[in-house]
Amino acid sequence: MKIRVAGIEKESVVDGPGLRFVIFVQGCTRHCSGCHNPDTWDFYGGQEMDTGEILAQIGEGRLNRGVTFSGGEPFEQVAACALLAEQIKPLGMDIVTYSGYTFEELQTKSLADEDVKRLLEATDILVDGPFIAEERDWDLPFRGSRNQRLILVHESLAAGMAVQAE
Amino acid sequence: MFAKIKKRDGREVHFDDSKITDAIFKAARSVGGEDRETAMELTLEVLRMLKQQSNGQVFGVEDVQDVVEKILIEKGHAKTAKAYILYRDRRSRVRDAKGELMDVVEDIVKETDRDNANVGNSPSAKMLQIASAASRRYYLTRLIDEDYSLAHSRGDIHIHDLDFYATTCNCLQIPLEKLLKEGFNTGHGYIRPPKRPASATSLAAIILQSSQNDMFGGQSFPFFDKQIAPSMDGADEDKVYQAMEALVFNLNSMHSRAGSQVPFSSINLGTDTSEEGRGVTRNFLLAYEAGLGRGENPIFPNVIFRVKKGVSFDPQDPNYDLFQLAVRVASKRLNPTFSFMDSSFNKPYDDQVAYMGCRTRTMDNRRGPAVTTGRGNLSFTTINLPRLGIKAERNMKTFYRLLDEVTELTINQLYHRFQVQCRLKVKDLPFVMGQGMYLGSEDLKPDDSIEPAIVNGTLTVGFIGLAEMLVALTGYHHGQSKDSQQLGLEIVNYLRRKTDEACERFNLNYTLLATPAEGTCGRYVRLDRKEYGIIPGITNQEYYTNSYHIPVHFPISSFDKISLEGPYHRFCNAGHISYVEFASPPQHNPEAVEAIIRHMAESDMGYGGINYPVDFCCNCGLQGVINEPNCPRCGSADIRRIRRITGYLSTIDRFNDGKVEELKHRLPHS
Repeated sequence: MKIRVAGIEKESVVDGPGLRFVIFVQGCTRHCSGCHNPDTWDFYGGQEMDTGEILAQIGEGRLNRGVTFSGGEPFEQVAACALLAEQIKPLGMDIVTYSGYTFEELQTKSLADEDVKRLLEATDILVDGPFIAEERDWDLPFRGSRNQRLILVHESLAAGMAVQAE
Repeated sequence: MFAKIKKRDGREVHFDDSKITDAIFKAARSVGGEDRETAMELTLEVLRMLKQQSNGQVFGVEDVQDVVEKILIEKGHAKTAKAYILYRDRRSRVRDAKGELMDVVEDIVKETDRDNANVGNSPSAKMLQIASAASRRYYLTRLIDEDYSLAHSRGDIHIHDLDFYATTCNCLQIPLEKLLKEGFNTGHGYIRPPKRPASATSLAAIILQSSQNDMFGGQSFPFFDKQIAPSMDGADEDKVYQAMEALVFNLNSMHSRAGSQVPFSSINLGTDTSEEGRGVTRNFLLAYEAGLGRGENPIFPNVIFRVKKGVSFDPQDPNYDLFQLAVRVASKRLNPTFSFMDSSFNKPYDDQVAYMGCRTRTMDNRRGPAVTTGRGNLSFTTINLPRLGIKAERNMKTFYRLLDEVTELTINQLYHRFQVQCRLKVKDLPFVMGQGMYLGSEDLKPDDSIEPAIVNGTLTVGFIGLAEMLVALTGYHHGQSKDSQQLGLEIVNYLRRKTDEACERFNLNYTLLATPAEGTCGRYVRLDRKEYGIIPGITNQEYYTNSYHIPVHFPISSFDKISLEGPYHRFCNAGHISYVEFASPPQHNPEAVEAIIRHMAESDMGYGGINYPVDFCCNCGLQGVINEPNCPRCGSADIRRIRRITGYLSTIDRFNDGKVEELKHRLPHS
């Protein structure tokens, strides 16, 4: 399956706990003021890659704890991300997904869209919500503004409400 | 006869023929002549010949000397002639050196214009630089055999800390517990053993400083937790913390060498499991984590945390909590680095191996007990491997012949320096030797040679640019090709065998060092470019790669980098280190750092660390990667940028050009 990506970082220390392989998914409609990666907005930017090719690269990262979907907006290419996430899980790696949607919005979306449900269920930690410049906090781990949350997805789905990591 | 003579600087002065007589007589006397009469007769001959040549011009000094030479030979004074010629040559070498030296001094003095007023720009620092330039010149032209000084000047080898060639030795692992227990004397009276934690760490700082003033290299406490624990007996947590905080502050502010630099200090800790020892490690790490007065990253000391299974490495170990703390601090402050006591070459010594911050390691000892404390490296000289690679033109036989030559030269030069160092007396190193800090110096008298002590030290051959050398020999460095890695290991192993053989030959502790090479990395490239031009993959960067490291600009995963560099550690018994480079501070991600540390341990490394940029806004305290000139949070332009350079932390403005280029090219693993 094809996926359009802005770039890949093979060993990141700032996109979730542990060393992580990061896929920056290309394309986002939000255009938040102060966005860290405006290059990822254009849906025709970046480059197209095959999910199999990315999976092979992930397999090489022997010290990585997991894979992070960042962007861009992973839920705009949700089918490809869901497929990748499901293929990554058996490698013993966990999944962190960044999204401009809140956990509650994604819950609603997942009722109508099976792929959203798949990606959500494959995700261990969701970093949710748009970047809001006024809420900017430089000292937060793994996220930019105070409104964004680190959500433990499995616990949240079981509880039916957002459960945060901290 | 002649009224004037033209001096070398162009001035015309009164012609005094007695000066010719003096010079001839001096030469004659040096070969046994005693007759000034003859010298005067020869002077007349000289004047006669000058007159024949004269058409009214004013002669220069050189012209006159040429004629003196000619007359001495013509009149059958061959021995005197030879002495005269040698004397002339020596004078002209000294004169050239003097001229160059004055240029250097001028440059140093001009540096006042530089706008950042850091320590390296202080009046004492400049004074020291001038002294250093003069010392280097002196040693190269007067003390060191021509073979060695030419090899150094050409850049075949680099004699490190040349400016201290004859005056002291490199570094020391300090017997802190002994000094704290017995008290000590820095030259103005006896200092009593400390009674309180804060006095103990104050004295510890003074000891580092005093010892630094006796030596040119790093000063280290090899077992800081164990060594200072007795002074913490019964003190509450707060007292211990304050003592440790004071130590960190002191080591970042107290100067040695007349204000030109803070001591290069290192602290090894982590394996003392006693309550006091654990309190030392815990509070020291916490104080280091808290940073300086405004939360700045401390520059000193270098902190080396000992990792050992059964003590600190695994969850059931008594000091596992301290290891976790060390990882957390390393994720934020670049320090500690980690030493691995379970690696194949450290394990035989239990937890007794210590490292100096720049990476040196002193352990085996054929002249005394194999211990760390009270010993250190005496001096080291680094081989320019890329040049050998270039000269060999892909012929391995030629390569090994060249390698043999230069290694032999280096080994002999180190021995020469050792002999020079042996001329030093105990009173020349009043603290290090006079206070019995150096192993074997305990019973020496002030006028005794330091030889019985320094036979315990190490003489060290270093190397730089394995990567560029491999490119020259095979077209690929060891990150690019398995064959190159094989060859790299073979060559470094070969070097180690050479230093082991030298141990037998000289009955001294010769060792092999993975040289960090602060100034050398750029100097070698500049010299090699002059000779061989810009060769892709070899001389096209502004620096040669550190020791056996994979080039910093080569994209490689940290897993692969560690796996490839690990096997070199065991050959480099004088010291080694490997780094992993992150793009951002992993301050919220100690787990990532721990993953790296664990893989280093698995790869049989002896010593490793994590690098990442630490940019700190001195106004609002923001720490992270600040790519723009101003702080993105408060807009202040007062940004302190800290990086690791050859083992020690430094702010970017103090890097030299070669290291600045290397820094620009450092590529995080991807």
